[in-house]
Amino acid sequence: MRASIKWLKDYVEFSQTPEELADMLTMAGVAVDSVEYLGQGIEKVVTGRIVEISSHPNADRLHVCKVDAGDAGVITVVTGADNVERNNVVPVALVGSKLPNGLEIQPTDLRGVASQGMLCSTEELNLDNKIVPPEAREGIYILPDDTAVGIDIRMALGLDDVVLEFELTPNRADCFSVIGLAREVAVLTGGTLKKPMLSLREDGDGSASSLAQVVIEEPSLCPRFAARILKEVKVGPSPVWLQQRIQAAGMRPINNVVDVTNFVMLEMGQPMHAYDYNLLSRHRIIVRRANLGERLTSLDGVKRDLTTDMLVIADEVQAVGVAGVMGGLATEVTAQTQNVFLEAASFNGASIRRTSRALGLRSEASGRFERGVDTVNIIRALDRAAKLLADMGACKVCPGIIDNYPIVQLPKQVVVSPEKLNRYLGVDIPQVRMVEILRNLEFEVDIKSEGLQVTVPTWRGDVTTGADISEEIARIHGYDNILATTPLGKVVRGEESYVQTLADKAKNILSGLGFSEIMTFSFTHPSVFYKLNIPENDQLRIAVPVMNPITDDFPLLRTTLLGGLLQTVVNNLARKNDDLAIYELGTIYRPASLPVESLPTETMMLSGALSGKRYPQVWNQSRDMTDFYDAKGMVEVLLEKLGVTGYQVVAGEYLAMHPGKTALFMKDDKLIAAVGEAHPKVLDAFGLNRAVCLFEIAVAELEKQAALIGRYQPLPRFPAVSRDLAVVLPVTVPAGEATQAIAASGGELLSNIRLFDVYTGEPVPAGFRSLAFALTFQATDRTLTDEEIDGCHQTILNYLEKTLSAKLRM
Amino acid sequence: MEQELNQLRLEAVAELSQAASLEALNDLRVKFLGKKGSLTSALRGLGGLSPEERPRIGQIVNEIRADLESLLEARQDELKQAALSQRLALEKIDVTLPGRRAGIGHIHPLTLTLNRIKSVFMRMGFTVAEGPEVETDYYNFEALNLPPDHPARDMQDSFYITGDILLRTHTSPVQVRTMQAAKPNSPIRIIAPGKVYRRDYDATHSPVFTQVEGLVIDKGISFADLKGTLELFAQEIFGNNVKLRFRPSFFPFTEPSAEVDISCVMCGGKGCRTCSGTGWLEILGSGMVHPRVLEMSNYDPEVVSGFAFGMGVERVAMLVYGIDDLRLFYDNDLRFLAQF
Repeated sequence: MRASIKWLKDYVEFSQTPEELADMLTMAGVAVDSVEYLGQGIEKVVTGRIVEISSHPNADRLHVCKVDAGDAGVITVVTGADNVERNNVVPVALVGSKLPNGLEIQPTDLRGVASQGMLCSTEELNLDNKIVPPEAREGIYILPDDTAVGIDIRMALGLDDVVLEFELTPNRADCFSVIGLAREVAVLTGGTLKKPMLSLREDGDGSASSLAQVVIEEPSLCPRFAARILKEVKVGPSPVWLQQRIQAAGMRPINNVVDVTNFVMLEMGQPMHAYDYNLLSRHRIIVRRANLGERLTSLDGVKRDLTTDMLVIADEVQAVGVAGVMGGLATEVTAQTQNVFLEAASFNGASIRRTSRALGLRSEASGRFERGVDTVNIIRALDRAAKLLADMGACKVCPGIIDNYPIVQLPKQVVVSPEKLNRYLGVDIPQVRMVEILRNLEFEVDIKSEGLQVTVPTWRGDVTTGADISEEIARIHGYDNILATTPLGKVVRGEESYVQTLADKAKNILSGLGFSEIMTFSFTHPSVFYKLNIPENDQLRIAVPVMNPITDDFPLLRTTLLGGLLQTVVNNLARKNDDLAIYELGTIYRPASLPVESLPTETMMLSGALSGKRYPQVWNQSRDMTDFYDAKGMVEVLLEKLGVTGYQVVAGEYLAMHPGKTALFMKDDKLIAAVGEAHPKVLDAFGLNRAVCLFEIAVAELEKQAALIGRYQPLPRFPAVSRDLAVVLPVTVPAGEATQAIAASGGELLSNIRLFDVYTGEPVPAGFRSLAFALTFQATDRTLTDEEIDGCHQTILNYLEKTLSAKLRM
Repeated sequence: MEQELNQLRLEAVAELSQAASLEALNDLRVKFLGKKGSLTSALRGLGGLSPEERPRIGQIVNEIRADLESLLEARQDELKQAALSQRLALEKIDVTLPGRRAGIGHIHPLTLTLNRIKSVFMRMGFTVAEGPEVETDYYNFEALNLPPDHPARDMQDSFYITGDILLRTHTSPVQVRTMQAAKPNSPIRIIAPGKVYRRDYDATHSPVFTQVEGLVIDKGISFADLKGTLELFAQEIFGNNVKLRFRPSFFPFTEPSAEVDISCVMCGGKGCRTCSGTGWLEILGSGMVHPRVLEMSNYDPEVVSGFAFGMGVERVAMLVYGIDDLRLFYDNDLRFLAQF
């Protein structure tokens, strides 16, 4: 909504600057988005009349004009425009003038003729095409012939005005009108609101009710429909002052009848529509739902297919308008129009909203109906429009109003207790002040024993409860005048859930391990499933589809984080971020079934990727690349620091991972984590030509297994003894199995097993390898003797020989 | 004898002061002070002196010994110091070569910001609540006083899964779920952080973003309490000098409603590009919980009242870190992430 300062001043006097006013309004909940000075950048441009025009002696395409520029005298101006004629009044930029595009006009010599200025187009004056008549958009801007000569163009065009551009909230339907805004201004500045006089002379031939009939078939969608009949209509341009008002509000003047309906809509918030009365079949208006297959060409010339849930305004034969959205072309007011059927009505907001969305057609009218118009105000609006047209001599108003008002809007009443209201706001506003604020806003207030009985003005459909009244008081009192306090009540403990704490701890550990956190969108695409090598019938391919995705790339909700993770690897490599250790802690979404009928299951996953050099490449660091064991080690540390113990690591297969390079961390038959190198097919599909290691952890399992606060272990009081044990085993025996066998046979004195060497080659026979373990023995109550340790060592070796055919390596 | 001794002293002093190494010094110690050393021999020669001379010469010998010992010690210190200096000089390295760095990882700025916000509110007694990202129309809209065809639904263009299931457009559904799970009228003090979704994708809108909402319900909760709570929050996050401005606004689920601006963190309120010259930056929406919202979740607005607020974590992070492009958060460029 745009409203100019001049227009506001038609209804309320105030002395504040536009900026001060904007601030006051904003702080009262009527947000001003910007303050626009019209005509900014225009200096020394005046109106001038072309008194003589001739061809340029030396240039075919130029004209030499003698222009009467008032006080500046008659000057010579050379122009290239072809649309000017003698006697036209045009904008003349005098020597020394400035234009919004930065141009400064100097005296120039154009092919031997001295030019003392420039004739201006609308574009050069920075007028928005939206508000300029189509014929004025080309060439020099030709002003009405009766425009005074020699006056500042800003005055002539009404550009000596300031426009407030409002960003209104949907509840304040009343502020979609200049009078509504002026009311706010009056309350805030202490001024008095002057509403327009509506005394009207009805001297048209025949009463309205005898000239037309209105039938409302759908009263629930049209609570009121009123009309006036205007006769002897002279369609033509509307007066300059009216054109300038609606132009400042961002609308384009069309003709006096249409301009007046727009003016009244902007002024009073009531959309109106004018029909060519003579073209309405039988002068009978029916407000009904559109018929099946009915079509209508709207005013913008577009053929619209209507559906039966849309409300239309129809005559006996056909729909002549989409109710509250846009009129029809067939009954448009044109230069030939003699009589006008002038409509002011109220339509159901939700219905208008659905219709306008379905048609993809939003208009100034539909926006107002969606928010709700003041049904009581309809007659006033009708009178106002009729009076404006009659006063400009553009019509005669027929006596009476056709008024169908099936659902009468009664003013609402709310009873509020000033004490409660003060408590609710945390303020101490005296009752008299509350009453004053409400009355200034034109709420009626009766002071009763039970509190204030407030009658809400009909234009404030948003006010229905005590809370709404409290907002009215608070916003006029000023939110800034409410002192800040903190909630009383007993001390409560703020806490977060275990899984939130776990997630935070995991992130800190991962940081320590060199991993950086990423966040990707929750959306995915079926091609990602293919790239991740997910089998056709796999559960992970069953994803939640989004009905209206933001782009074609995101039609589904993700079922794995690995797609986003690998894409992030790709994106970073493209930016030469070569060494990557990244993870995401995020949600995946799995539908119970397709099509979706219930909320999907949301599962939190922790997934990571590792690729590139192990250390940053500097002079004294190894340039080794990370591999599977780096990733595995990091997961081991992560699990250890989260207190997850007692799991087994087995070779296995996992989503997107190399089947021979995947480790599964299992506990109680549940998968806690999977670590593996990305499958070569997956790397290919993502266009990656280097190894990437992945891990994925099910946070739900982690939650079950983690112990965030571990128990302290007393420090040993007796020394530990370390012994190395190297055994030769078939290469097919996993190291994990050998380690487990040692653990199983080592007895309680064995406190630690560390695999420190893996060796193949001479003298170890082919098909075998040597595994060397450093074993630590420890007793809590004594220093161990060599004999004891030898015994343990031998027991372990015997067990390895027996169960795994191990041989001691000499 | 006395003359011999003085000669010996001069000789020893000269040699000691010229000793070039600790080894040479040790040799001199042996030479003069050792069991077979010159001074020791001189001491032995005392026996041949007269009883009158013996004490005098003995004293001279002892003096010489003490002198030589202290001289020896001093020279030894000198030589040690020289040896150390030489060693230190030899061991000198180029300390301007880069250090060996542990590759520490980085936590996403949104997590860091969210954690700060969480910690501020947890200290004020708020519990962190969570709820599903895929929600029903009822929890996301209806129970928040946004019936179908309400014009305010346009403020939040939604991603729909079915006609009735959508990606939540705010974390307010968590408020509804919390109220409905609680005993009617029992006190609530929660914040609800999480991902939210709106159908907007350009330089200043991300279809996925992060919100934190808060809800306090109790007997006697007032709008002034809302102001106080948010002031504490803003000061903790943006510093003690930050000023707050509450502007009346509209949200269907609160009444009265307020948009909250902070004084611009870039210019301190003087007006700059970040704040479009206004001196203020909008950071959150808030208000008193609408009576109908309370009623719909079995709370009695005649008995309790409450306030709610919501903010975008991206917005807060951008202001705290001076980030000028929203898209960086979900772009995951390590050059960006590594700055946090």
